[in-house]
Amino acid sequence: MSMRKQGPTRRTLLGAAAAGAAFGTLPGLIRPAAAANDFKIGLFIALSGPASLFGPTQRASAELAADEINKAGGIMGRQIKLIPTDAGGPPAETTKSAIRLMLEENVDVFVGSHDSATREALVGTIKGKVPYVYTPVYEGGECAFNTYVTADTPEQQIRPSLSWMMKDKGAKSIYMIGDDYVWPRKCNEQAKKYIAENGGKVTAEEYVPFGAPNKFEEVVTRIKSAKPDAVLITLVGADNVNFNRTFAGFGLDKDIARLSLLLEENTLHGIGADSSKNLYSCMSYYENAPSEAAKKFKAAYIAKFGDKAPQLGRIGADCYEGVYCAHALVTKAGGTDAKKCMAASEGITFPTASGDVTMHGRHVDKTMFLADCNGTEFNIIKTFADIKSGDECKA
Amino acid sequence: MDPLIVTQAINLVYAVSTLAVLALGLAVIFGLLGVLNIAHGEFIMIGAYCAYVTQSGGLPYLAAVPLTLIVCGILGWAVEWIMIRPLYRRPFDTLVATWGLSLLLRKIAEAIFGLGFYSVNIPVHGTVGFLGTEYPIYRLLLIAVSLLIVVGLVIWYGRSRTGSRIRAMVSNPELAQAQGISVRRLAAGAFIVGTCLAGLGGVMIAPLVPVQPFMGLDYVLRAFFVLIVGGLGSVAGLLSGAAVIGGVDSLISATSSATDGYFAVLVLSILFLWLRPRGIVAYS
Repeated sequence: MSMRKQGPTRRTLLGAAAAGAAFGTLPGLIRPAAAANDFKIGLFIALSGPASLFGPTQRASAELAADEINKAGGIMGRQIKLIPTDAGGPPAETTKSAIRLMLEENVDVFVGSHDSATREALVGTIKGKVPYVYTPVYEGGECAFNTYVTADTPEQQIRPSLSWMMKDKGAKSIYMIGDDYVWPRKCNEQAKKYIAENGGKVTAEEYVPFGAPNKFEEVVTRIKSAKPDAVLITLVGADNVNFNRTFAGFGLDKDIARLSLLLEENTLHGIGADSSKNLYSCMSYYENAPSEAAKKFKAAYIAKFGDKAPQLGRIGADCYEGVYCAHALVTKAGGTDAKKCMAASEGITFPTASGDVTMHGRHVDKTMFLADCNGTEFNIIKTFADIKSGDECKA
Repeated sequence: MDPLIVTQAINLVYAVSTLAVLALGLAVIFGLLGVLNIAHGEFIMIGAYCAYVTQSGGLPYLAAVPLTLIVCGILGWAVEWIMIRPLYRRPFDTLVATWGLSLLLRKIAEAIFGLGFYSVNIPVHGTVGFLGTEYPIYRLLLIAVSLLIVVGLVIWYGRSRTGSRIRAMVSNPELAQAQGISVRRLAAGAFIVGTCLAGLGGVMIAPLVPVQPFMGLDYVLRAFFVLIVGGLGSVAGLLSGAAVIGGVDSLISATSSATDGYFAVLVLSILFLWLRPRGIVAYS
């Protein structure tokens, strides 16, 4: 399979770097055998389970970042080697993998794009021994030692979009529906503050079991009878699709606006054009985000993976910034020492799929986009520039 | 009457009737042949993909029905011939074999279509005034079609010659064979009917849910609950199981919350397995 003979031959640093650069252009299946001084990144992504539809994009985006960095000399002269690891199953399984990666693989950094329940379990397992970068969209408040967050926070995602919905669209009463786990519940806690600030009220707050085969006729009927101005949706994946299709099926889409907090390209394809009217999303990246960096990122992604590349979206493209964050962090700290990394994290600047960001308080300030769903495409209607994370952790 | 109560009542009827149809294929295969078909959900998934393929080919929604019958029929025939036939009367082995089959079918779907979500457009849009409330037309049609399928099958099973042969095969295979009934062909036929019914269920729900390789998992569990509670081998069992599981879930979801509804379904299934393992309508 590999063109290289595997054996005990030691390679010089230069040789390994050259080979790495040469192999970087080959498809992802053929990877060079790990050199002893590779910079190993344990990449927690969804390879199985309901979130695994994001897996191919997560992996491809991380590979793109690793390739770019490796071609430019790697991290402190060491070539990045990604170790994609499944985080799509129960959190307890993922923590087992984390222990294995720390003890057997001696990974240098963890980068994770997965749900918050898994993040909480991982933080408790890694215990700050290895720098851990968390990337997708989250509920805020993660300040664990040696943990770095590039995810969209409620202050960035929920406050501007919900305020817009209430001020510009005149929504006064909000119905909350979400999956029953930590991310939706904490997001709704934050959202209640923003709703109160804007003089609105919460009509009801409702959750469905996470991971159960849910159907939404009863929920939608309740919403219909409650007559809210808008629905705030913290359902994920297939639940998000089922709910929105049922919602439109019952004809509620005409009068009631919907704001979904985890709605990216894949999910919108599932919701479909006939159910996406009056539906809004707010994230720091869309495939057609109106920024030069986003266009460049997409061009590089298509150049590397071709037209059949996995669908781009915030969940997936976040792994690109995760690898770059690790690069900036370790380079500035001069290694992976926890205390040095903690000190170095303040003020590092690194690229994301939609532009450079700077880290403050182990979170990043970023530009957010508000999108109106137009068929199965996002139509960016507003840009919120340089929003503070609102979640700065103490050093 | 309060439109909220009326709508929730129709939701309940909808939940029960669609559940009965989605469990029907499994009821045929598990109830008549004793084969625990874990891949039942994957045949539903294949039906849903057939609806998607028909739509992307520019054909009308109903063209998915013959396509599904062909695809699920051929697949069912091949699976029965290669995998199930050597394993009759070895329920645990069929369970393991069909579990493997479900993994294989999911991976094949993934290889062809990828992991992404697809949506099938609703063939009949909009809502209609019904008993003083607005209800989606497509869901009302689904209720009607589900009842037609179940009632049609009941009549056919009770009145036709093939139906009586199947009953003969189920109650005493050796005697049926001695009477000149080809048990092997009959069993293969029943298996194919089961996979085709699962596929049809998939076509019916495809416009309501995301079409993706994992979707079958959502239905196989509920279909098993229906059979556990209702009992195997009879239409009355299937209907009472669907009524209890779908009805309790829908009722509690409507009056309390979806979490409580799901909890009730799990508790009920456990209680039935524990206290009445042969179900409401035990086959004698």
